[in-house]
Amino acid sequence: MVELKHVCVRYESTGVEALSDVSLKVEDGEFAFVIGRSGAGKSTLIKLLLKELDANSGQVYVNGYDLTKLKKRKVPEFRRTIGVVFQDYRLIDTMTVYENIAFVLRVIDAPKKQIRKRVPYVMSLVGLQDKADCYPSELSGGEQQRCALARALVNDPALLIADEPTGNVDPELAYELVELLQGINACGTTILMVTHAHEMVRHFGGRIINISEGEVVFDEVIGGAEIEAE
Amino acid sequence: MKLSSFRYLVRQGFDNVWKNRVMAFASFCVLLVSLLLVGISVLFYININAIIGGIEDKNEAIIYLVDEASEERVNEIGDTLRSLGNVSEVTFVSRDAALSNLQNDTEYPEIFQSLGGDNPLPDAYRIKVADITKMNDTMKAAEKIPDVLYVRSPDTFVELLTEIRRIFTIVAFAVIIAMLIVSMVIISNTTRASVFSRRREISIMQSVGATKAFIRFPFFIEGMINGFLAGAFAMLLTWFSYNSLVELLGKFDGLSSIGFGNVIPYSRIALPVALAYVAAGSLIGAIGSVLSTRVHLKYRAANM
Repeated sequence: MVELKHVCVRYESTGVEALSDVSLKVEDGEFAFVIGRSGAGKSTLIKLLLKELDANSGQVYVNGYDLTKLKKRKVPEFRRTIGVVFQDYRLIDTMTVYENIAFVLRVIDAPKKQIRKRVPYVMSLVGLQDKADCYPSELSGGEQQRCALARALVNDPALLIADEPTGNVDPELAYELVELLQGINACGTTILMVTHAHEMVRHFGGRIINISEGEVVFDEVIGGAEIEAE
Repeated sequence: MKLSSFRYLVRQGFDNVWKNRVMAFASFCVLLVSLLLVGISVLFYININAIIGGIEDKNEAIIYLVDEASEERVNEIGDTLRSLGNVSEVTFVSRDAALSNLQNDTEYPEIFQSLGGDNPLPDAYRIKVADITKMNDTMKAAEKIPDVLYVRSPDTFVELLTEIRRIFTIVAFAVIIAMLIVSMVIISNTTRASVFSRRREISIMQSVGATKAFIRFPFFIEGMINGFLAGAFAMLLTWFSYNSLVELLGKFDGLSSIGFGNVIPYSRIALPVALAYVAAGSLIGAIGSVLSTRVHLKYRAANM
């Protein structure tokens, strides 16, 4: 569960107020799109949810953690409850697909047995079972994004944050990726997907949170194209 | 941390040396040069000290006694000299022995026949001082002993030697400290560059919930391996060049007379040199990497 109460974030260096009195709540098991133009405050929202920056005022709750009071030494523990997919994939170039995914489990001291069982499972989930020994540089953009998704899922996180996951892949793959995310959401994982692909959002429908100039200007559930067609 | 995780991180450290071989090689070279600079400065200082020490050992003063001194009095003067404190060795040279030595050393012994059996030389004591810088004080004390005719010491030479050692000690320490500072700055910058080149990797580790210790540990191992290899290589280079130099110096007979015979053979210092190089290399490598990672993590935390 994600909850923001009257959150304000201001960058001291530039004086820009990136988020202004933002309040929103995403329940467990929900799928929500966060849309908005560049500079609207989407990235700041993600950084806030990952505890990469602190709010100047207001409260932020993620997966049962009160981020406004979270101590530094507890940050790694908190981040283990979240899966993140970035637009630029952020895979470790010197590790194979298998190692990149297994790395998350090694970080949490998972038993070898679990690693050997869980990693091939998530690789098959995203269709990368044949690419285990490949390095990121040997993969296409879509494969790299699926690898990043597998890494985000391997720890079975309660919340998956996808930051522009379709930004670097072609439209067909982008739709496939969102369908994959919807499948994961159907298994109970809360998903927050940040995107500026408005057409795709309209196609899929669901809960849409629109941020503009640091404020939530729209937060409603709309029917997608497929739903409308039915 | 579980044993399996510990093993994984150690293996990661070893793998990273190869995977980041360009930066690892840069760190290795910088560390190697730094260790050699400091190591050679220290060895140079130790050897110059040994050479000066060797010259000092050969340095003697002679205390001549009056002819009237009885045998008993001569013995008393010997005891007094021994009790002076700074005197490390006292050898009695009788007037007969002195004349005999003189006759043996000269190429023209016939000139002594003109003496007609007389011996103009006095009895004397040869003494060696423990601390050459206090030679003058010791000589003044010896002069005051009754029945001492006069003393002869190489004053100018002693002063020169003392001055050389004093200046050399200051210069050597200044050079060693300068080398240490330069080395630390270069090592720190190189390891920082190495860590900076992998900032993306570090940020990924942080985003998936890796603790600081988990992030730092492979860097620690990596730095230690680089340092160990640099230390071992520096040791081999020093061994080879030191032995070559000693061999070269040995070819010049004249050099041993001015103290170069006192250069310490490598076999005598091989173990401490090897240990010092390897330990210093491993320690500097490991600490340098950890500090750079720490600075980077702090910087990231402050700029997030």
